[in-house]
Amino acid sequence: MQRGDSLNSPFVPFSPNPSIQQGTPTSTPPLKHTLSSSTSSNLRYSSSRKSIYDRHLNRSQRSELSKASFAFLFGEMVQYAQKRVNGIADLEKKLNLHGYSIGQRLLELLLWREGRSAKRETRILGILQFITTTVYRSIFNKPADGLEKSRDNEDEYMLIDNDPMVNSYISVPKEMSQLNCAAFVAGIIEAVLDGCLFPGRVTAHSVPTEQLPAKTVFLIKFDESVIERESVLG
Amino acid sequence: MSFYFAIVGTKDNPIYEAEFGTSKQGGDGVARFREEQRSMNQFIVHSSLDIVEEVQWATPTMYMKCVDKFNNLQVSCFLTAGNIKFLLLHDQKADDAIRQFFTDVYDLYTKTLMNPFYEVDMRITSGVFDGKVKQAAKKYL
Amino acid sequence: MSATKAARVGEDVWKTRIDKVNAELVTLTYGSIVAQLCRDFEGDYLEVNKQLEKMGYNIGLRLIEDFLAKTNMGKCANFRETAETIAKVGFKVFLNITPTVANWTTDNKQFSLIFEENPLADFVELPDDGRAQNELWYSNMLCGVLRGTLEMVQMQVDAHFASDILRGNEVTEMRVTLVRIIDDELPPGED
Repeated sequence: MQRGDSLNSPFVPFSPNPSIQQGTPTSTPPLKHTLSSSTSSNLRYSSSRKSIYDRHLNRSQRSELSKASFAFLFGEMVQYAQKRVNGIADLEKKLNLHGYSIGQRLLELLLWREGRSAKRETRILGILQFITTTVYRSIFNKPADGLEKSRDNEDEYMLIDNDPMVNSYISVPKEMSQLNCAAFVAGIIEAVLDGCLFPGRVTAHSVPTEQLPAKTVFLIKFDESVIERESVLG
Repeated sequence: MSFYFAIVGTKDNPIYEAEFGTSKQGGDGVARFREEQRSMNQFIVHSSLDIVEEVQWATPTMYMKCVDKFNNLQVSCFLTAGNIKFLLLHDQKADDAIRQFFTDVYDLYTKTLMNPFYEVDMRITSGVFDGKVKQAAKKYL
Repeated sequence: MSATKAARVGEDVWKTRIDKVNAELVTLTYGSIVAQLCRDFEGDYLEVNKQLEKMGYNIGLRLIEDFLAKTNMGKCANFRETAETIAKVGFKVFLNITPTVANWTTDNKQFSLIFEENPLADFVELPDDGRAQNELWYSNMLCGVLRGTLEMVQMQVDAHFASDILRGNEVTEMRVTLVRIIDDELPPGED
């Protein structure tokens, strides 16, 4: 019996997830739970499959699908979002939110997989390296191409990807040529940073060069609180 | 020996709570908190959050062992990658057993989160989850 | 083409001609899409099903070209061959799974695809709101993909899920029916 429902709890009541954008219906499909049904599940389970809790988390760790599947799915995600937004910036925000939702899950999954030796990052450089290596490798099968600290701004870092997969496989219609689908990846990065308590904004910028026409920089701008804490930690 | 267990979200909000009694040494697994004690449990655990928030920057480990003491009670903590806190209120030291318990719960929490219909900070209401947490408690505590 | 030959082609193409990606990325992306739809349509699962089918249909229209380019497959002789090709080559090459073709009707116009595995549904548990398990077909996009793909090769089909493990059924089964061959002289949808 979950007692939290019955007592006057000193805890702050449940507040909505920041990844759900303001303005969208806040009614997530409600988990209707009265006290009496809080532990009895109404869900049916197949006898062969039982529940998600019976499936090993590593089962699909090395599984692969075709890149084309991802590309088609992503393309449709963009198309769908496009109908519900006004303008490129809004569209990129939607992509960012999708990435964010994925990033939150990836973060726990990756740390869980490290097992007993798993450690939480407490320093800026540590979390950025975690993203450029572990996170990037798990999604894109290769580390990010570079990590730089801004010379001018103490709170800014740049993660470099010479050829983001999301851009190479997605064909963007001409009228959306300013759209940077890497906003999706920016969302993933932002979620990892937020989850580890390094809040900030992450934006994707195309910086094509002659040799690297698809080169993209993810600009990471940390909140002041992060910089303060970092200097306290010394 | 009785235990009070809570999972606390990123906004200091409770997303899951449970009580267990020890199953070791002939215990029947049923928690026996006096009524007055019960209402204290949440307060003790809640106030330990402040300490967790400090200590978490001094150490990279997820299992933080005992972070706070109150009379004869101790609060042990496990911090997930996404800053979700598992807090166990107990009256005896049992580091290894508690670590194993937390590890099992981390597995269950991650599975919960991987479900696209579950959002971070939502209450966990799955009966299966509840059953498995209690199973883990029975196994280790 | 026999089932075994189709299986061999599927395996071969999968191994040699397909760029691959982490399956979990696709799983999570699909999950994010479905969850977003459920929010946008405020829990109207029937609408979500329709939207998923439509998105799948859009994908199907473009997917066929990719499929033909990668597999160099010729025209199927009959609907039975089409079924085997879909199951052993199509699904293999895109999702690395090979659902089983079963339950043919005697007129050979209807069959089932039984999914032992479904990477789209990994980790998923439907909301415990008393409705999702009765109304939502989580993987409904696949039905649309089939409809779109086959329309591009002159077949009008109906594809829908008959059961889904996520709903507590014993198997995940899609029912595919050939409605009619789309004659070149008549635009699809007209009789």
